[in-house]
Amino acid sequence: MTDKVNGEKNKSRLTKISFLLALFLIWEFVPVWTNSAKIIPPFHKVMVAFWTNLWHGDLLQHVAYSLQLIFTGILIGMILAFVLTALCIVSKRFNDIMDVVISIMHPLPGIALLPVVMLIVGLGAKSIIIIIVHSILWPLIVNALAGFNSIPKIQIELGKNLGMKGVKLIWLVMIPNAFPYILSGIKISWARSWRALVSAEMVFGASGMVGGLGWYIYKTRFFMDVSGMFAGLISVIIIGMLVDEFVLKSIEKNTVKKWGMSV
Amino acid sequence: MKKLLTSLLMVILVLSLFSCSSKDPDKVVIAQQFGLGYAPLTLVKELNLIEKYYPNAKIEWAQLGSGGSIREAMAAGQVDVGSMGVPPFLIAWAKGYDYKIMTALCEMPLGLQTNRPEVKSLKDISPQMKIATPSPGSIQHILLSMASEKELGDATALDRNVIAMAHPDAANALINKIEIAAHFTSPPYIFMELESEGIHQVVDAEKDAFGEAFTFLVTAGTGKFKTRNPELFEAVNTALREAIAIMENDPGSVSDIVAPTLNLDRETYLRYCNWPGVKFETEPRGMLKFLDFMNRAGYVSKTTSEQRDLMW
Repeated sequence: MTDKVNGEKNKSRLTKISFLLALFLIWEFVPVWTNSAKIIPPFHKVMVAFWTNLWHGDLLQHVAYSLQLIFTGILIGMILAFVLTALCIVSKRFNDIMDVVISIMHPLPGIALLPVVMLIVGLGAKSIIIIIVHSILWPLIVNALAGFNSIPKIQIELGKNLGMKGVKLIWLVMIPNAFPYILSGIKISWARSWRALVSAEMVFGASGMVGGLGWYIYKTRFFMDVSGMFAGLISVIIIGMLVDEFVLKSIEKNTVKKWGMSV
Repeated sequence: MKKLLTSLLMVILVLSLFSCSSKDPDKVVIAQQFGLGYAPLTLVKELNLIEKYYPNAKIEWAQLGSGGSIREAMAAGQVDVGSMGVPPFLIAWAKGYDYKIMTALCEMPLGLQTNRPEVKSLKDISPQMKIATPSPGSIQHILLSMASEKELGDATALDRNVIAMAHPDAANALINKIEIAAHFTSPPYIFMELESEGIHQVVDAEKDAFGEAFTFLVTAGTGKFKTRNPELFEAVNTALREAIAIMENDPGSVSDIVAPTLNLDRETYLRYCNWPGVKFETEPRGMLKFLDFMNRAGYVSKTTSEQRDLMW
């Protein structure tokens, strides 16, 4: 049984790795064969550009700046989402109001709001953080509320029968039950915060004094530094994969999977 | 395995749909732009000047968002002829893109204006003050770097103050004193700013940055186009030169055609055409000085000492 599981696991890993290798090989040779290396530089050139820009250029600074904005945005977004969701659970009236607010705000793309936000708070880091918060707040609340609404009544009754009340009931019964939804809300927010950041900087060049990765990609575009453009993209991908692998997956492993839940 | 092969085949099929399109040799795609400096292009279109020299020409005028996208479209082979500022042209030239200058278009007065009375020179610009230019690597950005090398001793000293903003937005922000402290711009926005209250010039591009008269815009053509149909290439070039001569010698005669595309009335249009420093001409000036500076400052990594390397 375990052999079979392990075998399947290895096979799946092998498929993934060989797919990536094939992709890199195609990327390396097709631009040379088709004589379009100026438009799509071969893979090794991109990697060299990534490495030199990272350690000798200003890529690392841009990455740090981006991460700083994103984490600030996510932190503010999560606190707001937590407070608003809690109020929704406590008060039915507030929940009704939130319903309206969400149906107004949720479909609005952050980037469409940027001109308005810039008019009010001005260019720079502040407006980008507001856009990030906007992009993640609504999916967080929608997911969390869906989670809390999906808790089977019997579980809550059970908790109450065991003598739980208030915070204890929320902490031990309600949050674990809603957690798969909350987690998928967090995953969505992570992806959306990057989109908000990069697109805001690319569309409006709204940068702080250093500028994040969006500004970096924008700059490299105007200097026709195609390898640099790819280096910016690769940074976004790598950060995304690292956070997914080491933060999100480990949260999932220690909560939802450990509790044997699935959405 | 069979399933995998089928799916790979599908991918290849879809990808091949994107490529290959053969071009009609009589067809030329020209990027259209608006602005006083691009007026010769408008004339070429409205007076059918290319057809005058090549009656069978099929001309397609492409509308693209910015100089950056024109350059990208030229690199991708979608556009054959396009105009841009000298530094953006040089950036792509230094990257080895297969295009060169057909003709210069114009000289224009460029400059850095500020709405802060305390800013008398570049030294007075504090780290918090934002300077708007249309994009990194634009002629406005490079001229700012040249001025900061002269005044501050470091070409990149103000790069952290620079933000990208379209001309109309930045002119609006400067005049209404929101957001930005200074704007490096070109006509007609520089005229509007200088005629507004509370705004003064800090850098005059010709005097304080470049040191002499220089070409603002050039028109470039791709090598593919030249080999595909050299006669049509020459016809486009001749048409452009004719339009440039009209703009230089008698802009009043074409005011009905050009002024509406710039949203100007006839008087304002003529006042702008006769502004000191506005000159339409075919011979590029200052190309090598730009290239040498950009190479020294690290914006490009290739240089030449022969202007003919840059021209067809």
